[in-house]
Amino acid sequence: MIPQRRVPIIQDMFQRYVTYRLRRTFNVMEFNKIDIKPNHSILLLPNHFSWWDGFLAFWLEGKFFDRNFYIMMQEDHLQKRMFFNLTGGFSINPQSKEMITSLNYASNLLSDPTNLVTIFPQGALISNHAEQITVQPGIGHVIKKIKGDCQIVYYTVLVEYFESLKPSLYFHLLDCGTNHGFNFERMKEQINTHHRTVLQNQINVAH
Amino acid sequence: MIYPQQNRLKHWVLDTYVRWSVKRNFHHLKVDKVEVSPDKSVLLIANHFSYWDGMILYYLNQQITGKKFHAMILEETAIKEPMLKYAGGFSVKKNSRDILESLRFAVELLNDPQNMVLIFPQGKLYSNFIGEVTFEPGVSKIMQQAEGKFQLMLAAIFAENFEHKKQVVNVYISNDEQPGSTDATAVQKRYQQHYDRARAQQTKIVL
Repeated sequence: MIPQRRVPIIQDMFQRYVTYRLRRTFNVMEFNKIDIKPNHSILLLPNHFSWWDGFLAFWLEGKFFDRNFYIMMQEDHLQKRMFFNLTGGFSINPQSKEMITSLNYASNLLSDPTNLVTIFPQGALISNHAEQITVQPGIGHVIKKIKGDCQIVYYTVLVEYFESLKPSLYFHLLDCGTNHGFNFERMKEQINTHHRTVLQNQINVAH
Repeated sequence: MIYPQQNRLKHWVLDTYVRWSVKRNFHHLKVDKVEVSPDKSVLLIANHFSYWDGMILYYLNQQITGKKFHAMILEETAIKEPMLKYAGGFSVKKNSRDILESLRFAVELLNDPQNMVLIFPQGKLYSNFIGEVTFEPGVSKIMQQAEGKFQLMLAAIFAENFEHKKQVVNVYISNDEQPGSTDATAVQKRYQQHYDRARAQQTKIVL
């Protein structure tokens, strides 16, 4: 696996650039605020449906969570874009035995309360219209290995146009509790219920 | 009511703009092939989630039907965007006597096999994530009056990013199997079936 080589100043500058790019590309970027527990690291689980997802998580971290950003990427993807290694990217290869090393590495990062690790729980790019969110079992492994306090946050992003020619993003955050008293099946159920409600409520979005 | 106007220069300007902007804003557009009968006009009904829908279908019309494009648009939009009438836009004003004239005009257009008429039966913008498409009553009136003269096509449009920076548009089109029955609820039910099928196909996409 490729460990992260985060350089704070590069990451900070890149975040400014990403924010600028997102502002130019999207019309509205809205998210609901949840309670962030102090002195907890954050495990961020977004739905994965587009090229933008990593940048969206990065933007949201700067805007709302304010932690050191790390992200789990597929090994072949990261190898092609090693710059992301400097902005907190580390790799996972689901086909190799090293997968466990990557998962443990993520747990290690999460043991520090100043960190935020983004993992896409679906493990693949799946349509934004999908009603089911699959959560790979590796997530459970990561959470169980964390030493210390960690808050788990899931969010669904939906892309809409309405009256604008530019797309708008609607983030729907869900607090999935902490790593203490964690139950994998319960979290899966929580995430899917949240996702379905969000899809149904999208009809009522003001525009 | 605002009628379509003929002006070769203005039509050219609008045509060029729409082609340029659709190409520029979307990664690619995919559309199903359907049979078009040469001695019948086409009535195309589609879901409405953005200002792009009309442009996308205008852009794809050559490929789908090859007939002369007309679209029913809201009077407010027609006033705000005066160029639309040079590309076959005619207006409809909800809750007014004018609506009868608009419906009559649509029927008149459908009597000529050279024409295609695009109608968004939802009557306003809804989310792209809705599960159920509701119809305004006007569509079935048009269908009753122009019975036998046209071929009914059902379209479901979905826009998503997938692995691309720009969105990918999938237009699922099918010919209506029973154009004979023009009852409002029956048409809506048939559209809904098509929409559900299209949506199921869309959510199956995994990369």
